[in-house]
Amino acid sequence: MLYELAQSLTGGLLIGGALAVLSVGFSMAWGITHVLNVAHCAFAVLAAYLGYWALNRWGIDPLLALPIMLPTFFLLGVAMHTLLIRATARRAHDPGLATMVLTFGLGIVIENGMLLAWTPDPRVLKTAYSALTLQVGPVIVQAPHLIAFGLAVITIGALYLFTERTFMGKAVRAVWQQPMGAALSGIDLDRVTTIAYGMAVATAAVGGVAMSLLYTFDPATHLSWLVYVFLVVILGGVGSILGSALAGLIIGLIIGISSVFVPLAWNNLVLFGLLIVLLLLRPQGLLQR
Amino acid sequence: MTHHTSRRQMLWAMLGAWIVALAVGACGQAPAAPAAPTTAPTAPTTAPAAPTTAPAAPQGAPIKIGCSLPLTGAFADTGVWVQRGYEQWAEDVNAAGGLLGRPVELTIYDDESKTENAVNLLNRVISVDQADLLCGGYPGTAAAAQMAVAEKNQKVYVSMGGHMASFSQGFTYVFGAPPLMGQWWYEGLYGWLASLPEAERPKKAAIFTINNPVGAAILEPMPEKLSALGIEIVVNERYDVPLTDAAPLVTKAKGAEADIFFANGFFPDSVQIVKAMRALDYNPKLIAQGVGSIIPAWVEELGADGYYVFSGTAVHPSLPFEGISRLNEVARAKYNAPVAPIYFIFGYAWMQALQRGVEGAQTLDQTAIRDWLKSNQITTVAGTFTFDERGLPPPYNYLTQVIDGKVELIWPPEVRTKEPIYPKPAWGQ
Repeated sequence: MLYELAQSLTGGLLIGGALAVLSVGFSMAWGITHVLNVAHCAFAVLAAYLGYWALNRWGIDPLLALPIMLPTFFLLGVAMHTLLIRATARRAHDPGLATMVLTFGLGIVIENGMLLAWTPDPRVLKTAYSALTLQVGPVIVQAPHLIAFGLAVITIGALYLFTERTFMGKAVRAVWQQPMGAALSGIDLDRVTTIAYGMAVATAAVGGVAMSLLYTFDPATHLSWLVYVFLVVILGGVGSILGSALAGLIIGLIIGISSVFVPLAWNNLVLFGLLIVLLLLRPQGLLQR
Repeated sequence: MTHHTSRRQMLWAMLGAWIVALAVGACGQAPAAPAAPTTAPTAPTTAPAAPTTAPAAPQGAPIKIGCSLPLTGAFADTGVWVQRGYEQWAEDVNAAGGLLGRPVELTIYDDESKTENAVNLLNRVISVDQADLLCGGYPGTAAAAQMAVAEKNQKVYVSMGGHMASFSQGFTYVFGAPPLMGQWWYEGLYGWLASLPEAERPKKAAIFTINNPVGAAILEPMPEKLSALGIEIVVNERYDVPLTDAAPLVTKAKGAEADIFFANGFFPDSVQIVKAMRALDYNPKLIAQGVGSIIPAWVEELGADGYYVFSGTAVHPSLPFEGISRLNEVARAKYNAPVAPIYFIFGYAWMQALQRGVEGAQTLDQTAIRDWLKSNQITTVAGTFTFDERGLPPPYNYLTQVIDGKVELIWPPEVRTKEPIYPKPAWGQ
């Protein structure tokens, strides 16, 4: 039992990191731009495919492809926000609903694009380290899990430092916390929200690569990933970077613990039960003031 | 941010999560299950509809045959192969002089992988198009729903069905020829295990089953069947998909010292399980997998880690039945496929079953066709079948094993294409 628990907790914790990095951009975009980007995970799956493609076509590890993917996805996010989101939000009677429907449609478009490009066949990323393991006492740690966790630590850490230590980051926080006040103090709301949106989509690329190290994926996978993203964001608090990190880890731990102590079929029941309790007790999430 | 705004956002979140959960749930309801049968139908002896001589051209008004298939959407990849099987059959029949001397004309609507569309379209085929004959739908959820429509309208309906539940409704016009039965999935495995000396059989089984109707159908007979083989079930759990972490499943099986591991799931979750088994160095004597290991992606994506896994199938391109090799050639020539895909064979076989009924009854009268099929043996590219009052043949399924990157037939012995590898070699060997 102790071995099972230690193994499950370790695995759960590392998976929680991957869920956190997948979710942090979604949370940030929602908090700052008030846009519920339902296409977020479609971008993540697109990144997973690009990583897979880089590996199988050119032998480039997906991690090494990330430096190219990050600016590309950033620009995609900027373009999406400038050309679609902002234009729609300005004309819509209910910008929240309109942009959600818009991004839902965009997600479907991306999914169908991936279907055309890569067929519906499920894919498994097989890197040089896919089968590597690390023995820590009785616990076996899978290298892909560890790398996904590392990606999460680096990405979330960088985002946190950006919002805490840079002028632009502080502007982003200001827009998130009090848009009107930020505008009155001279912050260009459009510019800040567009940059934040670009960064959010760029983190989707990291999240997609991290998830692809752990899971199979196909063009429709984004919908199942989105369930976990919602869970992380609601638990962590909309817009909270550290909240996403904490929520991802907590969810991973809950999955690990419940896998040992309750039947596996109850895992989701435990998770979503927790969500309901949390919404009743703290509707703003764990780390949102 | 105000408390009011926060609550509003939470409401949006719940709405969004609900929509996503619905969408994911809908996707998971009707998995694109590849076929997996087990004990063998008798080897067919008569030829399929491959024309050899130059028969008289069909004459008269065409016989209209209609149905719907998922030609777009989640199940399109498989649905298109069923369509190709139907079309190949129609081409062959017309080239061989037609059905009852008349040409056949297929009308296949696209139900967009939605069960409600499948039902509406079959009603349209019957009442608006007034088709003479029906062809079956796909996947199991659509077929099960259409079976009720066909029965209500007293139309013969040949398809894979929707597992045993769909054939237990008291319907009399439905046939599985062959069916896709989760309950029969491991029939071949049970047969082969029974052939092993008792000392060589696995002793302890760990069973992990996907929490959906397909998984439930596969799991249903397992306790009784394994008990009869003297195999104790030490772990028996269901899991939801997406499977977040496969390691707990593997550690449970490893902790219980199970030497036969059943992963009764689909491709994504089973891949995760196999990867976790390798990572945690858990190497039971036998790994049996539900739906997933017989599709090409299994070997393409998992490589050697996916070898030696056992599964089942109801049809297979290497079966020694007449007409299969020709379908393999057609698939190669027309569609650039290495062999005839399973659902290409399925589609062809279902239409052959219908054809046998019409030719046997010598009429398009639905009750006469039904009665003829229920009282006669028929031969298709998928084997020779007789049907009980539910429209089902006796339970059967073939055992497969992935060996050197190919899905080989293992059981029954008369269809074996390779000797099984058992016990499973260590990972990486």
